[in-house]
Amino acid sequence: MRSIIYHRSFSVFIAFTAVLVLFALLCPGYYFTTWENIKIILVMVSEFCIVVLGVGLLMISGEFDLSISATLLFCSLIFLRLSQTELNLFLSTLIVLGVGLFIGLVNGVITIKGRIPSFITTLGTMMLWIGITNIFSPPGAERSIVISVPLFSTIFTGKVAGVPVQFLWFILIALILGIVLHFHKLGCWVYATGGNKEAARAMGIKTDLVKTICFMLVGLLCALSAIMQTIYAGTFFVGIGTGWNLMAIAGSVIGGASLFGGRGNMPGIVLGGLMISVIENGLTMLGISYFWAWAVYGSLILSFILFYMYLEKRLVVVGRR
Amino acid sequence: MANELLVKMVDIDKWYGRVHALENVNFTVRHNEVVGLVGDNGAGKSTLVKILSGYHKLDKGEMWFEGKRVNFNSPAEARQLGIETVYQEQALVPFLSIARNIFMGREKTKMLGLVDGRKMKEESMQALGRIELHLRSPDTLVESLSGGERQGVALARALHFRAKLIILDEPTVALSIKEAQKVLEFVELIRNEGISVLFITHNLYHVFPIADRFVVLAHGEKVGDVEKEGTSIEGLSKLIISR
Repeated sequence: MRSIIYHRSFSVFIAFTAVLVLFALLCPGYYFTTWENIKIILVMVSEFCIVVLGVGLLMISGEFDLSISATLLFCSLIFLRLSQTELNLFLSTLIVLGVGLFIGLVNGVITIKGRIPSFITTLGTMMLWIGITNIFSPPGAERSIVISVPLFSTIFTGKVAGVPVQFLWFILIALILGIVLHFHKLGCWVYATGGNKEAARAMGIKTDLVKTICFMLVGLLCALSAIMQTIYAGTFFVGIGTGWNLMAIAGSVIGGASLFGGRGNMPGIVLGGLMISVIENGLTMLGISYFWAWAVYGSLILSFILFYMYLEKRLVVVGRR
Repeated sequence: MANELLVKMVDIDKWYGRVHALENVNFTVRHNEVVGLVGDNGAGKSTLVKILSGYHKLDKGEMWFEGKRVNFNSPAEARQLGIETVYQEQALVPFLSIARNIFMGREKTKMLGLVDGRKMKEESMQALGRIELHLRSPDTLVESLSGGERQGVALARALHFRAKLIILDEPTVALSIKEAQKVLEFVELIRNEGISVLFITHNLYHVFPIADRFVVLAHGEKVGDVEKEGTSIEGLSKLIISR
């Protein structure tokens, strides 16, 4: 029991529940808890949290990625351009997912082969992909996307029993990645790589490969989220993923991941991501300026980090008792 | 076969750029023997060990393990033959459990690569038991262990994976006297299991009681290779600073 209470994700769970209750009570006309709003939240949350899942894993492996929003933007553009051709939509999707993987691969290879901190690598690739997207962005009139295949829309933006399918994607991916991280040997390698790269390498773990896989996972999930958002909005929009770089890191950190790698867990990352995006929606519902959201995120990050530090000290005491 | 050497390194040379790190070094380890590799900083101890454990390639010379000529391209190759190196700082991942550390990179798996947690925990406790290290639970995070206990976990890991030669690189540095004593006891138990140990240190007081033989390096050359009966701590000290 004690180990549950001291578990990092437990504190996030409590905080998340508190946030939900607070918004539910404070929103005028209890609009926050209406099914209409919940559906919107489920879509928003999923588009964002799908990306956070990858970012969290990458952080556990000891790296991070500032090029998320750029990847989303670039993949969205590619999807738009492909949808304007005669190409089969499913094939286009595969290509866009491939582009996401490729962007992750580039981040990984530059970081690892060049021995460059991923902060710098992804700062560079962020600017690179945003720049390229801006150069090739079509004029406003050519930005809308018409999906002519209903099945396709259903798969990425439809509803199953009234629940937005994006949310089901999110749950499915979270489950798969959770199993991989906590019960598969690849997950052990991710923790080992982030926790002590030299030790992991000495024991024969291919740490470079592990990190590259994590980078590619982030790229893949960004591509998926970009496709969902572009179809949902019915248009290519340059505001896609704005601010997500830091929000995704914030979500992971609140969920218990460390910037130095080696720590974090899937339940925490999921809850951290949920918290960030629910707060965004809740504050909007309350009619509070979007800028407040950032002030709240900042306070949250700081309080959680300080709280984790406190927990850490307690844990050491408990561990040695 | 019993008197055949476990490790035989002949006329080893190693340069780092223009630095002659090892010069014509001959080095052996017998079966079931604890060898103390001693020397001052920069004497070439680490270089020699890194060649033996596959981290570096030798520039000249021959290396034999269990009577077979070997030339390792990676630490993994050396490990496959039973040469395990335990570095104090590099051995373990602090935020992982004892069991996950012991099976790091060699996880026990069921289908589809899913790890067999129960089996790993059971075998971890058995492995720790072999060096009489009794820790509360295999789920304990390594970060909450003491320095000596961490060394123990790393040694238990080497033991569990049937190492034939365990190389300890400065295992007692930065440990309290009590903890260092514990590590020396582990080495004793490992030797009792019939495994050879190469103990690298510049602390003669730690290595003297447990080693059977001492090899002294100075400025990349071997300046002494003596059985314990034929020497003393003072004698070894003189050899170390002889040049």
